[in-house]
Amino acid sequence: MIAVLAIISCKEDDNTIVGAVNLNFSNTINDEPIVLNTGSYTNQSNETYTISELKYIVSNIVLIKENGDEFKYPVSESFFVINEEVSESKGLNLTNISSGEYTKIKFGIGVDQSKYPLEGANFVPTAEENGMIWSWSSGYKFIKFEGSFTLEGETTTEDFLLHIGSHGEALDNYKEVTIDLSSTLTIEDDTTSTISIQADVAKIFDSINTHSLEIQKDVQVDPTSPLLAENVSTMFSVTNVSN
Amino acid sequence: MIRYAGYVIMILIGVSCSSDKDTYVPIENAKLDFVVPENFPEPSYDITLNPPTEKGFELGKKLFYDGRLSSDGVISCGFCHLQDFAFTHHTHIVSHGVDGALGTRNAQPLHNLAFMKEFTWDGAAAHLDLQPIIPITAEVEMNETVGGVLKKLEERPEYVKLFAEAFEDQQINAENMFRALSQFMILMISANSKYDKIERNEGSVFTETEAAGFELFKSKCASCHTGTLFTDQSYRNNGLSVDPEYNDIGRKRVTGLSEDIYKFKVPTLRNIELTFPYMHDGRYKTLNDVLDHYANGMVESETLDPIFRNATTTDIGIPLTEGEKEQIISFLKTLTDDDYINDNRFSEF
Repeated sequence: MIAVLAIISCKEDDNTIVGAVNLNFSNTINDEPIVLNTGSYTNQSNETYTISELKYIVSNIVLIKENGDEFKYPVSESFFVINEEVSESKGLNLTNISSGEYTKIKFGIGVDQSKYPLEGANFVPTAEENGMIWSWSSGYKFIKFEGSFTLEGETTTEDFLLHIGSHGEALDNYKEVTIDLSSTLTIEDDTTSTISIQADVAKIFDSINTHSLEIQKDVQVDPTSPLLAENVSTMFSVTNVSN
Repeated sequence: MIRYAGYVIMILIGVSCSSDKDTYVPIENAKLDFVVPENFPEPSYDITLNPPTEKGFELGKKLFYDGRLSSDGVISCGFCHLQDFAFTHHTHIVSHGVDGALGTRNAQPLHNLAFMKEFTWDGAAAHLDLQPIIPITAEVEMNETVGGVLKKLEERPEYVKLFAEAFEDQQINAENMFRALSQFMILMISANSKYDKIERNEGSVFTETEAAGFELFKSKCASCHTGTLFTDQSYRNNGLSVDPEYNDIGRKRVTGLSEDIYKFKVPTLRNIELTFPYMHDGRYKTLNDVLDHYANGMVESETLDPIFRNATTTDIGIPLTEGEKEQIISFLKTLTDDDYINDNRFSEF
């Protein structure tokens, strides 16, 4: 107890100025927030779809200054599940951010298993609660995207299910994205800034690669998964920074 | 609040931050030695990232034998991994789980895990530390959640105490639970069989039959059951017919690649005399059955390992006479490590 308190007091002693950042994720299609179950969308393969579930893991958050200096959010505290259904899950409150002016943000989609796996082990119960663990494998589902779709000119709907994660040591689908902030993020003492991140969900189907649900409506551990992971890594942009 | 509390304590104890180490008296928790047997390779597990301690090991062992890791409070790790049989399941072909649920695979023995790169028959666990997630959460095994286990542990004073003694942050959390289980498992080293004593020149010698078996083994088996761990840790299709009841696709489940269908990890052969039944689905009861399979029981398939193909004929398998089989089996029995089976450090009681 004494040792713990003493450590805290040391942190306070070194006079670094820290602030907080709210990272707000908005999952959109055509710049409008998606609506689960009732929102109807069409991909570039002319497949009309609705979304019943969208979850993804965000991890390893880093803020980058103009000169390339990085502020790494403590890795063990840096794992989150963004769940479209739960609005609180879409706002990440990051505290103890070192002061400075930041121009870029970097984060991972999924869990970097190439690092020592216990670094993120305390995230396991959260991942579990969100159904982001494969029980037959010790890996995480990085992205869970489910819904139903109708082919062009047809009326019957079918379900689709896209679960993307790493395939053991054999295939690593963990992706890191670095994106420019729309304006400079300034962290000063006791300030709370906000970064709004937009995730363009339509890009899961249509970006670097095109994914047609008619061709494949069920992707789990499958050679298609890296193509989808690549698409997911392109869907994020920063729409607003307020200091 | 915390800031003030911190200052108050600092004033009270009257020390600066830099001298905390001198005044902080850690709970007695001795480091345990991880000794690599002389005839073993370097471990795959990075011991420096999770150095075993007395209390960590004790906690890991307690968890290993605790039914609280399962949803019905009965199925512990030790339920399917029995020390008498080199920590495999003996009475059942495939593992049994909560509510009598049947698994689809034969529980693997546990030994020398620190030297293995991936775990389970298909390599679904890329690291020992996270392997326990699979049996804990699998419906046909312990049918629990990691979060559920932690809640149960938090309610037990003995666990509150042990976690606090074993880890600096004193927390009951997933990381510490996995650390403790790994500390127990990495120290489960089996390296004292007759074979080891011969390999280390400790005075033992093979009988004539064993020596003949060893020669045969080296020419007919050791290309996959390589080195002193008796596995090259690769995944191969060894020509087992596909059991329609399970239609187990093997390694393909992990990689998604069709080239990996029906491939399974080459298992270690240490303590093989005790770890019956054999193969990923426990289909063979005896070592004789296994050698019969390799001699003339293999079935053809696209992913059959090329090593079993004959260069000049269409025959598949490893030609073996009855006498040769006996010699190989007699050699394999020199891999039994009685010290390990009887080592109290790993025993439930």
